[in-house]
Amino acid sequence: MNLVWLALRDYRSYASLDFHPDPGVNVLLGENGSGKTSILEAIGYLATLSSFRRSPDAALVRLGADAAITRGEFSSGPSGAVIEVETPATGRRRVLVNGKGGRSRADVAGVVALVAFLPDDLDLVKRGPAYRRDYIDDVAAQAWPAAATEQTEYDRVLRQRNALLRRDGRSADGATLDVLDERMSELGGVLLARRLAICSLLGPAVSELYADLGEEAEAVDWYYLAAGIGPVEGQPGAAELAGGLRDGLSGARRADLERRTSTVGPHRDDLVISIGGRDARSRASQGEQRSISLGMRLAAFHVLTERRGSAPVLLLDDVFSELDASRGRRLVARLPRGQVFVTSARAEEVPLVGKRWRVVTGEVTAE
Amino acid sequence: MYEAPVQRLIDELARLPGIGQKSAQRLAFHILHIEAEDANRLAGAIVAMREQVRLCRRCFNVTDSEECTICRDLRRDSSEVCVVERAQDIVVVERTQEFRGRYHVLGGSISPIEGIGPDQLRMRELVVRVDDEKIVEVIVATNPTVEGDTTALYLARLLKPLGVKVTRLASGLPVGGDLDYADEITLGRALAGRREL
Ligand SMILES: [Zn+2]
Repeated sequence: MNLVWLALRDYRSYASLDFHPDPGVNVLLGENGSGKTSILEAIGYLATLSSFRRSPDAALVRLGADAAITRGEFSSGPSGAVIEVETPATGRRRVLVNGKGGRSRADVAGVVALVAFLPDDLDLVKRGPAYRRDYIDDVAAQAWPAAATEQTEYDRVLRQRNALLRRDGRSADGATLDVLDERMSELGGVLLARRLAICSLLGPAVSELYADLGEEAEAVDWYYLAAGIGPVEGQPGAAELAGGLRDGLSGARRADLERRTSTVGPHRDDLVISIGGRDARSRASQGEQRSISLGMRLAAFHVLTERRGSAPVLLLDDVFSELDASRGRRLVARLPRGQVFVTSARAEEVPLVGKRWRVVTGEVTAE
Repeated sequence: MYEAPVQRLIDELARLPGIGQKSAQRLAFHILHIEAEDANRLAGAIVAMREQVRLCRRCFNVTDSEECTICRDLRRDSSEVCVVERAQDIVVVERTQEFRGRYHVLGGSISPIEGIGPDQLRMRELVVRVDDEKIVEVIVATNPTVEGDTTALYLARLLKPLGVKVTRLASGLPVGGDLDYADEITLGRALAGRREL
């Protein structure tokens, strides 16, 4: 999988950019604030329809412009796809895949695979469950594009349930809540089954890559914790998981009416990571947490390469400044061959040979 | 921005669904340049439609008399009712040529986000019809969205105790869209392959 060209109009600091990267390694060099991360963000935006900086859509539009236009062509062997996104400062964005109206993440996940290593990846281990859920869901959506639609549908029924609870609280209509619970159980069961399936692929890869990356001998392990239900072992089917959710939701009904929100469901679940039997979130060193997060990104890269038959586009945003030289080299050695985009302020800290680009505010030139 | 009468028309047009500021401007300036007679006919058509069209007292389809043409058609099978969200969905189902029963327009789907619950929809009217009209099967053809599915399930739970068969269109319709995103053949197949809820 590789990006053939990228064209930006009014995206962040870029009034206009036409970028034809190398199919191999691309090293983007520039000062902080030069806009090199924005290029990676734009590539990621085409693949996921969201900013990896967690920025709202409106923040992507250049100051004073009506809309940002992000376009790019991805090719994978003989097949390819042009993705175009028009992001207005206010209002709904428009997505075209090969000139046809796409409507959802599934439409782009079907044609692009991408993994990004980010400077704040430590958050994957250190911060709240939402970071780990997003990580799992992102990999699942790329492994099975249908999963992206399933995620959107679960999200929608959850928002409907929460809207009912928020508005009516204890006087919420029981029959309506019953059918929302039923839909949420069914869609949640499907979502959970996907998460467990992708976790079973990622888990062993994370342990193995972690062991490969560091000197630490301690084993990394994880389990999936379903809110209000408990740890989930093995790989139950969607129907069985839906049954568990049905019971979980009815058990939480009283609390939900009281608190006016949904306290049980996949949107509250966590992936509990441990290192040498210690909780990685609260009782691991910063260095250990960083290595685990690298292992998680690498595992995603390996699993997606395996599933899709070719390496996803890889983004490494200012990753090497956070790693010591030997870890950086070990990371690079474990990357399957494919197209890579690396940003850095200092050329000498990048242990990768490839085409070098100089980024100066709003412009990219080959070195 | 424009002279008041022009701006007023632009504002009115821009309130229509699917029409943005730019389209509204284009339409307004088009209308500005057509013959006065044509403009009168357009305005007249809008007023006449509003005055002459009302809702069918049985199924809530749009009609110009007490009951719509479908409800008045004696050749149609009154034991089957197809439930749709909006009146315009009836045309979509009719195009498939696969359904010979009558319809019931709910007026939307359950969506707490938009403040729409069962009470805001014509569900009680449907319950009354099931009883009065000796309906045997209710086919739920709400949109293939989370809201449409939720509404279908609600209807199933509401109607089944009355001894009526409640079915839903088979899956295979484009998910997340309106009913009319599907072509006739796909929708026809979904109707033929409907399953009991
Ligand atoms: Zn009628």
